[in-house]
Amino acid sequence: MTAELTTTKLNAESHLLLDQPLLRLPHELARKNFKTVQKHVERENKDVLSALKSTANASLAGQDAPKTVASLENMIHRLQGLKRKMETLHGEEKALHQASRKRIQHLQDLYEIPSLADVKYDEWSRVRLNRLLVDYLLRCGYGESAKALAREKGIEELVDLEVFMQCHRVEQSLRRRSTQECLAWCAEHRPMMKKLDNRLEFELRLQQYIELRRNRQLVEARQHAQKYLTQHAGTYLEEVNRAAGLLAYPPDTHVREYSKLYSDSRWDDLAKLFVTTHHELFSLPPRPLLHIALSAGLSALKTPSCHSKHASSTANASSTTTSVCPICSTELNDLARNLPYAHHTKSYVENDPVVLPNGRVYGRDRLLEMSEKVGLDAGQVKDPTTSIIYPASEIRKVYIS
Amino acid sequence: MEALLEEHEKLCRKGNLSKSVEDVQKTIDLLVKARDSIAASTYLMLFSLGPVGKELLTYAHCHLQDQNSASVTLAKLQNPVKQSFEAVNSDLKDVYKGLGNYSKALDKKFKDKPLPTTDYDALSSHPALINRAIAMHLLREGQFSVASTFLTDATNNPPRPVISSSTPNPHANIEVDLGIDSLKSESLRKQFANMYHILHELKNQKNLLPAIAWAREKSDALETRGSNLEFELSKLQFVWLFTGGSNPNDARSLYLGQQQALGYARREFAHFQGRYLREIQQLSGAMAFCPNLAQSPYRRIFHNDDAWEDLANVFTREFCSLLGLSADSPLYIATTAGAIALPTLLKLQTIMKEKRTEWTTQHELPVSTAFYSSLQKGPLIFPGGNTSSARVSLSLDLRLPSVERTDDRRESTNDDALRARRCAGIVSEIEQRVTI
Repeated sequence: MTAELTTTKLNAESHLLLDQPLLRLPHELARKNFKTVQKHVERENKDVLSALKSTANASLAGQDAPKTVASLENMIHRLQGLKRKMETLHGEEKALHQASRKRIQHLQDLYEIPSLADVKYDEWSRVRLNRLLVDYLLRCGYGESAKALAREKGIEELVDLEVFMQCHRVEQSLRRRSTQECLAWCAEHRPMMKKLDNRLEFELRLQQYIELRRNRQLVEARQHAQKYLTQHAGTYLEEVNRAAGLLAYPPDTHVREYSKLYSDSRWDDLAKLFVTTHHELFSLPPRPLLHIALSAGLSALKTPSCHSKHASSTANASSTTTSVCPICSTELNDLARNLPYAHHTKSYVENDPVVLPNGRVYGRDRLLEMSEKVGLDAGQVKDPTTSIIYPASEIRKVYIS
Repeated sequence: MEALLEEHEKLCRKGNLSKSVEDVQKTIDLLVKARDSIAASTYLMLFSLGPVGKELLTYAHCHLQDQNSASVTLAKLQNPVKQSFEAVNSDLKDVYKGLGNYSKALDKKFKDKPLPTTDYDALSSHPALINRAIAMHLLREGQFSVASTFLTDATNNPPRPVISSSTPNPHANIEVDLGIDSLKSESLRKQFANMYHILHELKNQKNLLPAIAWAREKSDALETRGSNLEFELSKLQFVWLFTGGSNPNDARSLYLGQQQALGYARREFAHFQGRYLREIQQLSGAMAFCPNLAQSPYRRIFHNDDAWEDLANVFTREFCSLLGLSADSPLYIATTAGAIALPTLLKLQTIMKEKRTEWTTQHELPVSTAFYSSLQKGPLIFPGGNTSSARVSLSLDLRLPSVERTDDRRESTNDDALRARRCAGIVSEIEQRVTI
């Protein structure tokens, strides 16, 4: 049933599952950059052409030269402004291209490593771990730690400090109950948001409305609703209606639908909605990649004995010469508890197993070798797990059926 | 990958903004030229004014003329400026196309490599445990400053557990106590700082004394583990002294060193006699070959370049083991293993979805992710065992520890081979058995 292939061959193609965001993000940023340029050009194009036309008409109609020169100056000034903006964005574009290039190269390196046992794979995988750690730290909002780690490891070009730190700043501002930063973010990213269902901006405006109502600024609340909410009635009819109803219910209302709107937890929901929208916009996975890699790895390595009530030789550091198993090690043991075990269809047993009087089974050669090492006389063996010494004559051969 | 690289190169070359910036400049030039010509004629007119008597007339005349020429200039300007803007827009269109093509190349590259879904995420509900694992990882990697920044960050902003129905949290009660205990992390930091100090002295300064002092302190624990570390360290110290210490090429220090080595042996080797008599005999036997050790049968003991690196590795392993930790970072091993196992798990997930079945998350994976660690790293595995079944005769505990491997390591001649072997330990003999 099982075709067995014992291999350490590295299949780079399938190994890239975790690395899609690495290339997607700079690309999304480049697209955002481009959209911003486009927006600027579009506006100046329209304005300058119409200004030029009206200047020409005015000149024909007898406007004097200094005025004409002044309006030309004005147009030149605007275009120079445009050029400056474009130059800045061009600089950013260069940096993004450079980052993309570095990242493609980094992935390309993987294709040149033939085997998982190669030293280079070890190095590559360590870089990946550091990347995943930086990603995790950033998502937790631990910007300083992330920066320090990226700097120390020299992987700044492989991680996205700025993007995540901005995201975190906006998220925090929402948790501090300020909509300003998030609305500014929405405005900045509006060209890209069109493809997404832009619920975020509506919810932000709704929140502003709720705050106005909370402070009993009923007139302002009505104006605000007319300006920002009613236009969304097509998509969010129910919410708009409820917002209108809110005018009739004071903040201490017991009517559930309305007290929910006044609830503080709405700010947390807004923060979450923002993060989701942000990650979606930049093709970022919703959860840290470290979770994905770790849970797969923990399952793959975990054995039933890792959380066994019975003492295991690997858990008992003082009695064996082995290194502690990664899942038994303090770092991961509790974390692995909730994950499934690895599935093993085959036993890996040492040669020539023997059983000690206490029921523990070991490979004969290694048992003897180890007993000699700890300085026992010939004819005695020591159980590495329990440290009990038995006469060698009491060990029995085990037949595995 | 090459296709992607090529597409990206194309994007860098053609799909950038430099041309459109140039074209904006051209538009500016057009306007500047028009302005200058209009302004020039006005100034010319003003400066060329003759005597005051003629002024009014000339002014009116010139003014009229000027106005004419200005409107002509402006009328002539309309089309070029429009075209210039069109040029900018068409430059932008090229960039857009370039981006689109690169997008397509990316899509193609990752078409069959979807981002793993996180439908089942058992880790989000345990951020404190993850943070602890990361803190310990940073400490054991010797990144103390990053670790302390991290601990400050994590203490100031404790993580929020994401608890959902699909992320069971059967150990919610212990979660509370398992945050990053600052006291504990401090002691761990000290331990690892000590470890790195010893390793630094050992590897970079060839100073074994701190390591020897540590090993002596832990002598009993090391002996129960059956570790030879203490003796191996003393032996290397002897060898180092005997071959002239830090000045191996100086005849005088060589002589002095041999005297010191002899003294060292007399002083220190006595309490190793019980376990290592044979090795001690070998060392003293070697002295007979003293001027010519390199050609003697003892060459391997006295001229072994790997000895320091090997011993450093053994030291790290013993040090970590005594702390109850594995020698390599579990976080590293687990994420690496995860990346390797992921394609199989993903395939499983897809099939599960198609067949609309689920597997009980707490138990065994229905598929072999093809892992077992070799004897030197990990457990021996029996199918069908589980936590609750008592260990009868065939207990799960079949792994016999890797016995000191320094002996066979002597064979290796260069660092690379050694390191390769160490890596091989981590991912060793991965078995790919696709059972679905």
